[in-house]
Amino acid sequence: MRRVILPLAFALIGLILFGEGAYIHAKALLAQVLLERAFAQTIATGQPVKPWRWADTWPVARIEVKRLRASAIALAGSSGQALAFGPGHVEQTVDAGERGVAVYSAHRDTHFHFLRDVTIGDEIDVTRSDGKMFRYRADRSEVVRFDQSGIDPLTGRYELVLSTCWPFDALTSGPERYLLHATMIEPDSRQDKSGS
Amino acid sequence: MTIYDACESSPQIRLSRRMRIALFFLVEGVAALAIGFAALFVSFDPVWSAELPQQAVLRPSDARSGSLLFKTDDGYRDALRLGVDVDLTVSGPTVRARVTQIFRNPTKDWVEATYVYPLPAGGAVDTLKMVVGDRIVVGDIKERQQARAIYEQAKQNGQKAALTEQERPNIFTNSVANIGPGETVLVQIEYQEPVQQNGSEFSLRVPMVVGPRYNPRPVVQSVDLRADGSGWGATTTDPVPDRDRISSEVLDPATNAPINPTNITVHLNAGFPLGEVKSHFHQVRIESPDNATRIVKLAEGPVPADRDFELTWKPAAEKAPSVGLFREHVGNSDYLLAFVTPPSVEQAQQKQLPREVIFVIDNSGSMGGTSIIQAKASLLYALGRLQPTDRFNVIRFDDTMDMLFPAPVAANSANIGNATSFVSAIQARGGTEMVPAMRAALSDTNHDDNYVRQVVFLTDGAIGNEQQLFETISALRGRSRIFMVGIGSAPNTYLMTRAAELGRGTFTHIGSVEQVDERMRDLFAKLENPAVTNLSAKFSEATADLTPSAMPDVYRDEPLVLAAKLDKLAGAVEIKGRIGDRPWSVTLPLANAAEGKGLSKLWARRKIADAEVARTTRQASPEDADKTILALALEHQLVTRLTSLVAVDKTPSRPEGEPLKLSELPLNLPAGWDFAKVFGERPSLPAAPGERRADAGNGKVQLAALKRSPVATQRPGTIQLPKTATDAELKMIAGVILLTVSLLLLVFNRRQTSPQ
Repeated sequence: MRRVILPLAFALIGLILFGEGAYIHAKALLAQVLLERAFAQTIATGQPVKPWRWADTWPVARIEVKRLRASAIALAGSSGQALAFGPGHVEQTVDAGERGVAVYSAHRDTHFHFLRDVTIGDEIDVTRSDGKMFRYRADRSEVVRFDQSGIDPLTGRYELVLSTCWPFDALTSGPERYLLHATMIEPDSRQDKSGS
Repeated sequence: MTIYDACESSPQIRLSRRMRIALFFLVEGVAALAIGFAALFVSFDPVWSAELPQQAVLRPSDARSGSLLFKTDDGYRDALRLGVDVDLTVSGPTVRARVTQIFRNPTKDWVEATYVYPLPAGGAVDTLKMVVGDRIVVGDIKERQQARAIYEQAKQNGQKAALTEQERPNIFTNSVANIGPGETVLVQIEYQEPVQQNGSEFSLRVPMVVGPRYNPRPVVQSVDLRADGSGWGATTTDPVPDRDRISSEVLDPATNAPINPTNITVHLNAGFPLGEVKSHFHQVRIESPDNATRIVKLAEGPVPADRDFELTWKPAAEKAPSVGLFREHVGNSDYLLAFVTPPSVEQAQQKQLPREVIFVIDNSGSMGGTSIIQAKASLLYALGRLQPTDRFNVIRFDDTMDMLFPAPVAANSANIGNATSFVSAIQARGGTEMVPAMRAALSDTNHDDNYVRQVVFLTDGAIGNEQQLFETISALRGRSRIFMVGIGSAPNTYLMTRAAELGRGTFTHIGSVEQVDERMRDLFAKLENPAVTNLSAKFSEATADLTPSAMPDVYRDEPLVLAAKLDKLAGAVEIKGRIGDRPWSVTLPLANAAEGKGLSKLWARRKIADAEVARTTRQASPEDADKTILALALEHQLVTRLTSLVAVDKTPSRPEGEPLKLSELPLNLPAGWDFAKVFGERPSLPAAPGERRADAGNGKVQLAALKRSPVATQRPGTIQLPKTATDAELKMIAGVILLTVSLLLLVFNRRQTSPQ
């Protein structure tokens, strides 16, 4: 009997751990589906719509990189709870399309997994909750410490920063962040409605 | 060592080898488990936390331009708390109040505390004492900047220091520097104010909390210089330049127990046999040592500071004294305080002019809860009191505005019915843009002199741009008279009294639904009966410096209150006026005046208020007015807009090198207010720097900027990035390792059992 108990115990703990990890990914995937729906409704009604009844946040923008076929619905706020479901629009930064720097953050292993594949020159589309779409071009990337981002929120230019943890393949979280800077090239083009 | 080896050994050796192998896997398994769990904890508890920037508890409004604030997940720290003791002594016409604030620091840090608190608008603050251990440090009056500099210097040196500053005539701030860990510092201020009289009722009011104010957004925040390089440009000033100084963090009563326990004791020596003594909003215990004296204490000990304390008393005699005359000798001068209630002339003797009444009701978010109920009840009562010959209109405002009728209409039953349903449907929400509403109410399009024009303005006055409102009134009042009705548990009495004074009307306060009928009846007695006009006072022998300099009109049951500085106490004063169209006069012999206390301070405070009014109405230049105020304040030791009290303990207490933290004491929400209505449903942060989207322009944002939780500051110009890695991968890897281990164990076991 004892011979079976030990492997079974290991298997159980292993399954639980694996399950927890998989749950994080599943949550991230499922939430995006619900968020997609809520965001479409937000654009249609002009009111913030909660993706599910008990949610403490709501979708504010869609971030898309067409070349990579990557898309994610960003949420208001960048608390840990919000980031589990989607990229967060960092508090105190402007909305996309406004003068200043709009900063969105997401987990490197879920929603911003595609960030490693974005190269300089890629176009990033951000659709705001009022339906306006702005096109940015990635022009610079850098690695900084989380508290020394060097982002100047009062800049006079129209900028976008996507941030995630660095290095991409590390297993534990560290103080370093990968920043992708982009500058607006097309204000409210409204040319592409297929995404909404 | 291999499994293969184990197979060919003797049973004993095989057993021990098997033990060793089991042990090996056990160790490996435990190690994998340990790594897995360690990883779990690592991701929750970052190893670089020691490098986090030092966090100071700070309000967003403290952040000057460019700095960014972030909400932390850890919520409230064990913060500085405060107890307040208010001791009031009424001697005849004056109230002497001693307010003791007890600052207790339960934290392990040295802190600086600031507390924003209200005082009666007519109160003259003249004393500041700081008690540290067994030492008492008495404060000195200094010019505001100088006092601030002394305080900052003491703060740097590690000395205990206290500073009392005036933000509005009824809002003060106490700052206390260098309160040590576990220490308690007492700060005591004293003020003098006149007793209020209305008909046969005398009253005093102790405001306990500054309600969150709506501060209108500035129109333009920057200077636009012309591109042609001529150096010309335009700038618009902020309507509330000191918005950060009058907004404190406010706790949501739904999630926080009431704070700031306050104790109140009143020693009432009315100077005449007392009848009914009543506390309107607090349970009290009243002792009566003799028939003219009462001692009033709170029945159930300290209460949270979330509503005003109001005490009223009436004389035992049927008729209240209609004249009071008091004197005080200070320095080379005599000071005189006179209360005269003109007789009420019966309505029948007067032919009454019909009235045009404009009702304005504030339905902003701060009026939510019981306030809007009181306001609506008051307004419905008022509509019911209109005569068919009157004309009226109703305006409601928050950050938007609606006028019921395009122009005032006759008060016939159809129109009244219309207005009643309009008022009944009003809901409290949004910001408080009071100036446009006042402007609309004052726009007098009829110019019909057969009507008396009256504006009845119902509000809690929770705005920060009082000065703008005063300027609007003094510029546009014309022949309209403004009657302010203060609603709720903690209205802004400074705004009410000053607006009523500038609008030559009165201020009525309604603090609960039960008071609506009585107080509105009083107000209508004032609206419907002729006022005493053209008042003047003449001293027969003495040369007098009289205040108020411009005599107000006096409404029914109100006393005329005069303060004067005299070179000698001789002769008499004759007060003349007209009641309706009949002349009226009264002569008071000065020699019979009774001894009073603190009258010089009241006179000085009243003179300062006159100077502030003259500044608002542009009768005096700002420089002249400021000079007058400063001279009076320094001579009479009063805290004003331009002077502060500062006390510094000579012995340094904070060791060098110990950091000092700033702690802003949070306030209760005034009783009956609705937190969500004031601050909005979601905890919004102040507006982001940079431009706002044009269509986002409703006033709610500014109100939401009155922040409610302490936040950590960052070095200006940086944005802190959130943690963006999950432990998903780590968990999955640890899970796979453990599964592999268990699989290996199972295989191993199978191999072990199969030969047998």
